[in-house]
Amino acid sequence: MNLKQMISAQARRMAARSPWIYRINAGSCNGCDVECATTALIPRYDVERLGCQYCGSPRHADIVLVTGPLTARVKESVLRVYAEVPDPKVTVAVGVCPISGGIFRDGYAVLAPLSKYIPVDVNVPGCAPRPQAIIEGIAQAIEIWRGRL
Amino acid sequence: MNYIKTLIQNLVSGPSTVSYPFGPAWTPDNFRGRIEFKLSSCTACRACEQVCAPGAIRFDKTPEGLRFMMWHNTCVFCGLCEHYCPTDAIKQTTDWHMAHTVDQEYGMAIRETIAYVTCTGCNAKTLSSAPNPAGVEPPFTAEEIEQHRNLCPACRKKALAERGAAS
Amino acid sequence: MIESLYTPLALLIFPGGLFALALGLVLKGLDRRLAARLQRRVGPPLAQPVYDLVKLAQKRTMVPDIACQPVFLGAPLVGVVSMALAVALVPIPGVYTPDVVLGDLLVLLYLLTVPAVVLMIAGSASGSPFGAIGFSREMAMMLAYEGPLVLVVASVALRTGLGQGGLVSFSLSEIIAYQQAHGAFLFDPVMWPALLAFLAFYPANLGIIPFDIPEAETEVLEGPLLEYSGPALGLFKIMSALKAVVVLGLGVALFFPLAPDGMAGLLIQIVKLVVLMLLGVTLLRVSLGRMRIDQAFRFFLKWPLALSVLSLAIVTIA
Repeated sequence: MNLKQMISAQARRMAARSPWIYRINAGSCNGCDVECATTALIPRYDVERLGCQYCGSPRHADIVLVTGPLTARVKESVLRVYAEVPDPKVTVAVGVCPISGGIFRDGYAVLAPLSKYIPVDVNVPGCAPRPQAIIEGIAQAIEIWRGRL
Repeated sequence: MNYIKTLIQNLVSGPSTVSYPFGPAWTPDNFRGRIEFKLSSCTACRACEQVCAPGAIRFDKTPEGLRFMMWHNTCVFCGLCEHYCPTDAIKQTTDWHMAHTVDQEYGMAIRETIAYVTCTGCNAKTLSSAPNPAGVEPPFTAEEIEQHRNLCPACRKKALAERGAAS
Repeated sequence: MIESLYTPLALLIFPGGLFALALGLVLKGLDRRLAARLQRRVGPPLAQPVYDLVKLAQKRTMVPDIACQPVFLGAPLVGVVSMALAVALVPIPGVYTPDVVLGDLLVLLYLLTVPAVVLMIAGSASGSPFGAIGFSREMAMMLAYEGPLVLVVASVALRTGLGQGGLVSFSLSEIIAYQQAHGAFLFDPVMWPALLAFLAFYPANLGIIPFDIPEAETEVLEGPLLEYSGPALGLFKIMSALKAVVVLGLGVALFFPLAPDGMAGLLIQIVKLVVLMLLGVTLLRVSLGRMRIDQAFRFFLKWPLALSVLSLAIVTIA
């Protein structure tokens, strides 16, 4: 039992060093999407140091970044794609739009806050948040994910 | 072929990655970050509530005074409140370390109350009036300003009119 | 007893199985790290592919409702098994010669087509339209690059066979022995068209930009791999790591197998694999953009095919 526990603890530690990120745009103005892209692509804010990798398929993801207030038009699609992400997963709301609606609050097609529809774990306020702030949010999300493995 | 030159230059120059989160991050001086509110300077003019773009600032009347409430999770960091505040009570700092877990979500707010005081002229409940707007020097002495501050708007109007009539 | 254990050990531990898996993962880690440094980034730690695999083993495999479940789950297994067999077929000059009962160059050629076919079948078995697009693109790529590969192998076999007085020799140990006696084909001007055709072939086989069209992340959402998650996806990653070892080892055996015996030979082989990987894979990956499928198809039907036909002609005449 002790050896098995040691092996599984070591496996969890190793697995926590490779969180893969998937980005869902829930009706965003793309400002936060641009900042998320800079954390992936621009050498200045390399997020691959933390072992992260932006993957092209929701089935490969561990951390889900959601940008944008949930507009009525994409709500069904976002909920469907979110259900495709396998457990265990951590959700990060990037920008103030998914948290409270941001600048689009009280709009007739805006269904923010996102936490009413999917369970959000980390909020990263900002409009748009700095790439460093997004990396800080991802680092907190990795800590939470490490506990869920 | 000049991309081979670029590749060699890249290898030689080394990574240009900033060291955050494994080191400190540089912030520009005029970065628009978290809002801070100074209660003693607020004159309850409610200009910030008017101009706040996403409606993050709210004033509510309570028995103790006027309650100022501001939600960091709705603020879009536009800086309009700082621009229009006459007494520099609400300001933007350069703090951007605001990522938090959802259990702290409802704590990301500023809640302050601008208390009621009793008017020395007519004993009515009135809001304590703040210092002068920034950059304005009224032609009164300091004791006169102190005196006027403890009057309600109606009594203050009467006092200033009498003072003008007397001089 | 030792002889009968030789082949299973070769398949499972060294040089196949665990050793090849470790080598493939190290090659991948080096590739990612060097690509990051070439782009002025820091890059992941060298053991990152290992962490990826360990993490994938702990997630759950989700199978879509419309997928054909036995094919969906069996395809990656078939791919891994074929590549594990193929690694035991690739000789390490000076260290390991594969047992004749396993087969030789022709069997290796057939086994090399299995991963591409597995990817195609996985794409169509998943039932998603992106998988179908990946299926058709992978088929087009396979048609494009298999021609030059077969002709290059035929030229090498022909040269070895003619040089030894026979006709053609498809035995990898004979090819290696011929090169150790007469000089490597890398320095033989007659074989340079074949060398160029092989250099064009192996990035396409390994699925590297500019030829990673079937698995394009941004275009078809990772194509055939779209619906895979968890251990099934991990099996695909293992298959691609093993395939890198097989294809690079084949390249070394065909063109530059000169090495001392024993431990030094093993180290030299690893160094050669690393150099081939860094030159052919990493440099291409960071400097070029992805081609369109029709551009890649036309490219392969033009230059590598012409070069390999030319080399076959030259070898027959000379």
